[in-house]
Amino acid sequence: MVERESPLGTTYKPGRHGNVVNAAGVQLSEPRPGSIVEVVAWPGMEKATLAAIKKAAGLTVPDHPGGGILKADTAGFGFAPRRWLVIDQVEGLGAALRTEIGSETGAVNDLSHGRTAIRIAGDSAEWVLSKFFGLDFVIGAFPLGEGRSTAHHDIFAQIQRTGKNQFDVYVFRSFARAFWTSLCHAAAEDGYEVL
Amino acid sequence: MSGRRIADSGRIDRDRPVDFTFDGRNYSGFAGDTLASALLANGVSLFGRSFKYHRPRGVLTAGIDEPNALVTVLRGAKREPNIPATQLEIYNGLVTESQNRFPSLGFDIGAVNQLGAPLFSAGFYYKTFMGPVIGPLKGTRFWMLCEWFIRRAAGLGRADYEPDTSPYGRMNAFCDVLIVGSGPSGLTAARAAADAGKRVILSELDPVTGGSANWSGETIGGKPSADWAAEETAALAAMPNVRLLTRTHVWGYYDGNTLAALERVGDHLSAPQPGAPRHRHWVIRAGTVVLTTGAFERPIVFPGNDRPGVMLAAAAQRYAAEFGVLPGRRIAIFTNNDSAYHAAAHLSAAGAEIAAIIDTRLTISNGARELAQKAGGELMLGHAVGGTSGSRAISGISVRQVDARGTVSGEATSISADCLAVSGGWSPAIHLASQAGHAPKWDEDLQAFLPPNATQNWIGAGAFVGAATTAEALRGGRNAGLKAAGAMASRAQQAKVDAPELDPHPAPIFEIRATDGKSGKAFVDHQLDVTAEDVRLAHREGFMSVEHLKRYTTLGMATDQGKTSNVPGLAIMAAARGIAIPDAGTTRFRPPFAPVSLGALAAERFGEVKPDRLTPMHDWHVEHGAIMMPAGLWHRPQIYGLSGETLEQAYVREAKAVRQSVGMVDVSTLGKIAVQGPDAAEFLDRVYTNKFSTLPVNKARYGLMLREDGLLLDDGTTWRLGETEFLMTTTTAAAGKVMQHLECLLDVRWPDLNVALTSVSDEWAGTAISGPNARKVLETAVKGTAVDNESLPFMGIVRGEIGGAPVMICRLSFSGELAYEVYCGAGHGTHVWEALLAAGEPFNTLPYGMEALGTLRIEKGHVTGAEIDGRVTARDLYLDWMLSKKKPFVGSAMMDREGLAAEDRIRLVGIVSLDGQPLGGGAHIVESSGREEPRKSIGHITAVCYSPALSKYIGLALVNGGKARHGQRAFTADPLRKRYGPVEIVSHHFFDPDGSRMHG
Repeated sequence: MVERESPLGTTYKPGRHGNVVNAAGVQLSEPRPGSIVEVVAWPGMEKATLAAIKKAAGLTVPDHPGGGILKADTAGFGFAPRRWLVIDQVEGLGAALRTEIGSETGAVNDLSHGRTAIRIAGDSAEWVLSKFFGLDFVIGAFPLGEGRSTAHHDIFAQIQRTGKNQFDVYVFRSFARAFWTSLCHAAAEDGYEVL
Repeated sequence: MSGRRIADSGRIDRDRPVDFTFDGRNYSGFAGDTLASALLANGVSLFGRSFKYHRPRGVLTAGIDEPNALVTVLRGAKREPNIPATQLEIYNGLVTESQNRFPSLGFDIGAVNQLGAPLFSAGFYYKTFMGPVIGPLKGTRFWMLCEWFIRRAAGLGRADYEPDTSPYGRMNAFCDVLIVGSGPSGLTAARAAADAGKRVILSELDPVTGGSANWSGETIGGKPSADWAAEETAALAAMPNVRLLTRTHVWGYYDGNTLAALERVGDHLSAPQPGAPRHRHWVIRAGTVVLTTGAFERPIVFPGNDRPGVMLAAAAQRYAAEFGVLPGRRIAIFTNNDSAYHAAAHLSAAGAEIAAIIDTRLTISNGARELAQKAGGELMLGHAVGGTSGSRAISGISVRQVDARGTVSGEATSISADCLAVSGGWSPAIHLASQAGHAPKWDEDLQAFLPPNATQNWIGAGAFVGAATTAEALRGGRNAGLKAAGAMASRAQQAKVDAPELDPHPAPIFEIRATDGKSGKAFVDHQLDVTAEDVRLAHREGFMSVEHLKRYTTLGMATDQGKTSNVPGLAIMAAARGIAIPDAGTTRFRPPFAPVSLGALAAERFGEVKPDRLTPMHDWHVEHGAIMMPAGLWHRPQIYGLSGETLEQAYVREAKAVRQSVGMVDVSTLGKIAVQGPDAAEFLDRVYTNKFSTLPVNKARYGLMLREDGLLLDDGTTWRLGETEFLMTTTTAAAGKVMQHLECLLDVRWPDLNVALTSVSDEWAGTAISGPNARKVLETAVKGTAVDNESLPFMGIVRGEIGGAPVMICRLSFSGELAYEVYCGAGHGTHVWEALLAAGEPFNTLPYGMEALGTLRIEKGHVTGAEIDGRVTARDLYLDWMLSKKKPFVGSAMMDREGLAAEDRIRLVGIVSLDGQPLGGGAHIVESSGREEPRKSIGHITAVCYSPALSKYIGLALVNGGKARHGQRAFTADPLRKRYGPVEIVSHHFFDPDGSRMHG
């Protein structure tokens, strides 16, 4: 198995950065899941598609806009009408979903190489992300497990809340280094630690 | 210190002395001081010179409405001009200087302008710099000659040319209730909304919350009002659902209850906090907005009203109460309303001698009379200040009787004073409401414009809605907070306010004039030196609309936007026209309420103007000496130059290597769209000009896409990966545009089609391997599939592995050589790239960049975005053979329009330089060699190179007549690069026109 290269390159520098007076406001990391798969349902086939996701990934994804779910190694969330992103820590989820979702039901796209997951965790996570996105990140408006599609100017981002103070941001691989660099700059005010 | 400090008073911290400089001189103040309060405490009364006349100016206000005391702050080489001294918090090491003076503030040569004052009235520029109708200075040339001198003789502060290296930030915020202004009404509104569980943001432009409670001297709930405000603030700060934003002014009210605010995060610090921005631009999306922005005190316009030492009465009170500074030792009060009596009593209690209280009214309230008695000094009712004396600071005033219209008469009484505190009534700060409401409403009793009817979801309270007392403000604030929280208004007992009972209604007097009108300049707009006479002159010259008045006189312009001058100016115009003030109209306020740093507005992109888009092999390219070039947001290798090579030498070497053996280029930037679904083939038939439903699985086809208007949109190959699955490739530049086009078609035109589009541009790393030995390299590198001509014919697709990584290979050619595109997962991109290079080593495989890629395609006559520029048709590029006649497609209905099918359109040709010199992209093609009269352009060059295959400088061009001109001689005219020379127009198929090399 050939190891996947991170798009972050030398910009990924583990350790404390930015304001080091207090404890780091956020921890930044690249989770590098094995599978990031986009699933599309044809109109009227939403329930069948969600059932197929449950069968292939063991995830019961809620059937409402932005609805999402988290498990230990898997996650899924809706990011657009009839579209979901399904994540697994191991490779092969794309093939499993293709087996369950035929072309009469929907479409499956393995984006494991094409999207980069960046995790931001810590007390200042909402504050730092609010510097980029016009989204309400408080947990009441953005509950645990749910997902959102948004953009920071040229960079499209899909965001899932993966903890009380933790978010996974999925960006196009080619933009990952630029977004990571901007994220580090934005986190410097509160201090950040790259894990 | 000058002895102006009052012991134990104000918000300043006397245990923390602060050293700063003003005009090169060292001063000291205390933490909590503004520059204005600190300089006043040091006995400084002269802060600047006026805009036009260079008149000495002091401090008029104590807040953001300050028109006079503007200074420049220096931080290293950076100069930030026009900062109100009243807003500038001092810190150790602060360096400031005054403005618009030379050589010094005390001795300013520009003050000679005062001698020519009669010339510099309103409209001076318009009248004086028309220029003669003939001669060397005709028209605007005269103005252009004079402008240099005028800009140095008049103006505000001077900025620098250094780059601004300060960091700026942006913040998106959401709340149920945004409260703008933290005076008594704002604090109670915030408390009511927060107690109801709402998410509250409370913004305050000053460093501390409390507003008038910090200086009014009243008691609220039995406590000094400042203590009450501090306790309320502490309670709010402890609530998790409340965010307090101090040093923040909300400056714009936009649709959807979205408001813009500027937080001055670091301006008050000697050194910025690590990582913290200097300013933060807030975009606040609020459910309900509560406007508790208070009111601005108005000056009265009278002769000599700009002399240093003349200031607003509430400002004088505020300096004493909030900053512990007496603005004068012997203070005269001039008013048309009761509020100044409060200031008089406070200043007297703080240790000032009240020289006199001059009131235009003949009768006053009992409360005012009691305060006058407390204050001391002569009470002069029915009088007005008709003039001031002094040079760089006020030394005395002259007082005369005044009638109800503001005309003074009778004997003048001279009164010595080193400060004149003036109150002309109060104008609610309705700026934000004006941005989110209809026209403001004139209140005859308050002589002020009140907030308009709202067009967005806001509520007002306090002085903003005309509340005259703190008790009323508390009640209004609480009810506004409850209403914003969705609760009913409350009749609950409010904290008791101990304050004198005063008459809130001012006399309708805005200007004091002598009967003969000759009593010196009376300034309406202090910042831009607009006098009452200027307003009347504008009226005489026909500028009666308030909007015209503003533009002719500059009244209300510049950094303060007329916060102290708008209403007096309007009143004077109304009087001149003999109409009521509301009939004269009012300026509708636009954003920003107060100046905003451009850095903050650009905060999102500050230092990162656009993101860098990198291919999976980017680091390899850089490490191996590639010179990178931008291609939209992408970075692509231009050449892999050797030491001492020119750009041309490098790309010629690389292109030769491809023609002679084999080369590799990173094509990961190509747009890639997964098109999936049972209707995918039908969809492609509709969007491409040629048919794709007949394309076998594991084959690719070149396709053309038109816009609805029949012009070319893009081209590219689309690969059929399965019965219901296609991989569409687009040009790098058009990837986003094509995706939007296709999504729009699916969403709007054909929602019945079951087709899914997903951008997979970033999923795949792409390497094009080209040249006669390309197949041999693949044979070495690829496992799991054969790549011979039978297994992998032209436009065929196979899957295999390279170095253990899964790959998909399509045989297609952009270079005109035997070529393949190898796609692998982006995370394996560098791995596969290096494996291919290693396999190609026996064949001297070279990586090549964009220049060589361009050269190869120009030699071959392949088109790109340089030719598909949004103005050409398929016929223009001789691609009409791809326009299916058997099916309709997007653009087919419009592509045969007369104008698009005309014979005289510019069409694709090749050109060859006949003088052996390089050609220039974008240069015109003309029929005459004359540089001066090149005659009509017959087309233009789209792409150029030195062709190693032909050993000539060649190019592609779009030329009128196209093929019909093959063999003709023409000329290139490139005036920008001063390149003129002969060219031959030839076929665009320069090299291997029958395609034998790529099909071999």
